[in-house]
Amino acid sequence: MSLTGARLAGPLRRLRSGLRPRMNVPQALPSIPVPGARVAPPHIASSLLRLALALVVGYSALATGLAYWQVVEAQRLTADPLNPLVISAARQAPRGSIYDRSGVVLARNLSSGGAERLREYPYVVAAPVVGYRSSVFGTAGLERTYDAQLTGLVSLRPGDELLRKFRDQPYNPSDLYLSLDIELQEAAAAALGDQHGAVVAIEPGTGRVLALVSSPTFNPNRIVARQGGRRYMNTLRERDDSPLLNRATQGLYVPGSVFKIVTAIAGLGSGAISPQTTYENQPDEYQTGFLVEGFRVRDFPRRVQRDHPLDFYEATEVSSNIWFAHAGLDVGAENLVSWAQRLGFGDRIPFELPTSPSQVTNGDGPLAGFRDRVELANAAYGQAEALVTPLQMALVAGTIANDGLLMHPKLVDELRASDGSVSRLAPQAWLQVLPAGQAGVIGDAMQLAVEGRYGREFAGAAKVPGVPTAGKSGTAELGGDAAPHSWFIGYAPADAPQIAIAVIVEGGGAGAQRAVPMGGQLMSRYLDSIR
Amino acid sequence: MSAAMLALHRVGIRPRMRGRELVLLLVVAIALTTGWASLQSFRSSQLEVGDAWLLATYLGALAAIHLGFVITGRRMDQILFPASALLGGLSVLIMHRLPQDLAVQSIAGRVLELGPLQLLWVLLGFGVMAATAILVRSDGWLRRYKYTWAALGIVLLLLVFLFGEVTGGARLTLTIGPISGQPSELLKVILVVFLAGYLAENRWLLATSSTSVGPFKLPPLPYLLPMLAMWGLALAIVIVQRDLGAALLYFLVFLSLLYVATRRASYVVLGLLLFVAGGAVLYQLFPHVQDRINVWINPFVDPQGSGYQIIRALYAYGRGGILGTGLGAGLPQVGAVPSIPAIHTDFIFAALAEEMGMLGALAILGLYVVIAERGFRIAATAADDFRALLATGLTLVVVVQAAIICGGNLRVVPLTGITLPLISYGGSSLLVNGAVIGLLLALSDRAVEPPPPGARAGVARRLGQRVRRAGGKFEEAIS
Repeated sequence: MSLTGARLAGPLRRLRSGLRPRMNVPQALPSIPVPGARVAPPHIASSLLRLALALVVGYSALATGLAYWQVVEAQRLTADPLNPLVISAARQAPRGSIYDRSGVVLARNLSSGGAERLREYPYVVAAPVVGYRSSVFGTAGLERTYDAQLTGLVSLRPGDELLRKFRDQPYNPSDLYLSLDIELQEAAAAALGDQHGAVVAIEPGTGRVLALVSSPTFNPNRIVARQGGRRYMNTLRERDDSPLLNRATQGLYVPGSVFKIVTAIAGLGSGAISPQTTYENQPDEYQTGFLVEGFRVRDFPRRVQRDHPLDFYEATEVSSNIWFAHAGLDVGAENLVSWAQRLGFGDRIPFELPTSPSQVTNGDGPLAGFRDRVELANAAYGQAEALVTPLQMALVAGTIANDGLLMHPKLVDELRASDGSVSRLAPQAWLQVLPAGQAGVIGDAMQLAVEGRYGREFAGAAKVPGVPTAGKSGTAELGGDAAPHSWFIGYAPADAPQIAIAVIVEGGGAGAQRAVPMGGQLMSRYLDSIR
Repeated sequence: MSAAMLALHRVGIRPRMRGRELVLLLVVAIALTTGWASLQSFRSSQLEVGDAWLLATYLGALAAIHLGFVITGRRMDQILFPASALLGGLSVLIMHRLPQDLAVQSIAGRVLELGPLQLLWVLLGFGVMAATAILVRSDGWLRRYKYTWAALGIVLLLLVFLFGEVTGGARLTLTIGPISGQPSELLKVILVVFLAGYLAENRWLLATSSTSVGPFKLPPLPYLLPMLAMWGLALAIVIVQRDLGAALLYFLVFLSLLYVATRRASYVVLGLLLFVAGGAVLYQLFPHVQDRINVWINPFVDPQGSGYQIIRALYAYGRGGILGTGLGAGLPQVGAVPSIPAIHTDFIFAALAEEMGMLGALAILGLYVVIAERGFRIAATAADDFRALLATGLTLVVVVQAAIICGGNLRVVPLTGITLPLISYGGSSLLVNGAVIGLLLALSDRAVEPPPPGARAGVARRLGQRVRRAGGKFEEAIS
């Protein structure tokens, strides 16, 4: 019962019968001349080889995928807080504790609490840093970032994961030792009191965070409590003042005059301005305002040098909006944006807590993101669409204090595992933002702003008694009737900086009213404590 | 020679030792016993084998099948069966290890949970394999009725379309009386049989003449039709059954066979272009296709929703690492909830990779490569084109399907819900894949009768002729 041409239907038959006569077995083909045909069909075995090759390629891709997930990405996946292993491990090993720089406990396990022990947080003011670990709400803060190390899922010794399954106790929890100074943290929180705002203090030479306060905050003990935790969390979530938001790292604020330091960095760094730069019309414009495409930039009326155009030092000392508007236009949109980027603007700052990106502009305009020259001029002295986090501004102050070298901010100094192994997280340089000489110029100007004849009338309250102090106040105008935010950034001692600080008090009025004296007090207190 | 042997000889059966298969089966038995001991020891925290009836039954069945091959004196491939047996054994182990309530079925008054249930299916699958390998002595019934097979396939597809039940978003399951199954598994074999028949007959023409359209050399127009039909079939499966995996499998197997038959790269390029075009249209039209692609590109957009399953699988790979957690020490469940949805079907590869690590998972991939190598070897040494193409196609439906689902599990390709052959839980898949391996074994036996069939005597012959005549008429009518 072979298929013959005659039995094939339709077009197949016509074609077939036109081409070749009756045939019984397909493989026993006689060589018939076929129009257009030059070669006989290849033997199947030879094309199989190529198919096999394709299969090998496919399976190699699978093997590569396996290696990627099980070797390259394995640790990151294992440490992910959503990994059920994290939850399971928490039930099996006591979680590591968290300590401040001098060994004060910030988080520990309650001594009694069943198989899965409750966490206890002796210092509520550390909540924005430490966060919480709850069996209901998961983790936040450092409890989240270092969850895998605290539960002991990730070992401090490289390669240890390979051997874990051969051990009786597979988990090796680590304790965290922070650079945080809980006394400074408490002092900062107390200084803010009921007012909303944030304080970030860092050690400029290392980037180690000394204090990171966000107000209002939450009580982690009440979140993790078995009784009433859910109700407390609900009230936190519903409150209008968002106590769960970490204002220090994620709060975006209009910077006001503290941003002038960024403009100065961009100006000196790019060479658009020099310390001696003056603007001829500036003294007149102090009266009339500086007209930029129909918008008038004005200065606050205050005692300033009237007899000559201000240079960079004087302009910083008296915080001249007009001078910095001129400077911003000279620097140009592209330079301002790109130099701000060198400081960390435009992207989330890599840090152990979640951060929001600070911005110079919304970035949707034609002028390197700016709508027009008016926005650029206003941004140059910290208004318009410029928005910053307190952490970002602390880094700006820290960069000037550290001779232009920006350090990565960090909270954890050391991890100590229960098996005795220790892992130190060394300070890391991020970027030499500008040469030490230029940073020194800005530093001198900031010192004038605190200690100079005209400057001290405004920001003198930041002066640490007996210690040369540098700083810059800011008054962030919010438009309408809203009270402005009160800002201060600075560092001390100006000649050998130990601490750099950023303070913001929401609705705190002019910088001089709230943030400046707070910054001074806190720096003074810290310098006393380490002396 | 013993009396039993003499008796066998008298009925025309000549036993033949299968040494290589025996040695490999011993290796398989050792590996599975070690795995079982590891599993039980982890559970009781001391070294023990425990109640091993599941394992013992499985190993007993393997021995019986081997003995069957030996006694009937088949000269078949000796590596395919041990490779499949190791995969099936791993399946029994892992199903025994997973939460037992993932699948519960009452069979003949006894309630079976996942482990025993899977053992039953694996045994039935291997039974089908052995029966096919031993009993199939001629390929005429496949070769001759290719259009009938194709018609049967289309009828199956229609039945699913009309009466299919929707499981997991796809219309897959067909229930007839007490039997329910997933016809797409059977359809893949039917497809291969049809394609092997069609291409074996027409490959000479397909390979040597063509119609030029621009830079592409198309097959002669009348021959283009079945190919377009094939493409349409794949699309129809996606649209009607929402079964992306099966459609992808059919299409890849089709293209591969077309290439093997003609060695014309232009057909493959054309096919891939059609595939991309079809895929783009489907992407625009169907939200479930969009979901699959988007989740593949970035599952972390919606980690608690659409990305949940694949992210959970990625966690499992991370937990496993290079050496794995060890059988029994992984986290396929948290509390009573499986950590990956569909862990016993679509995501069984992730479960195995967690507990056996990268090395174990590579070994599993390696077993499929071994199956591919044996299958292609059988194809390359086949007596004629039909058999070569049939063996190629049968090999491909196993190894390409494995690659598609493993790739989906590993986020190498978008996830499509099909089973991992010989391992995933599920009766249809195990029975059909058993039959596929059985057919490959039968094709590897040089003694299997080459076409056309020789004359046979007596009633059987006349009956056979009558059936063939009826079949031939039907065949003629529909072709």
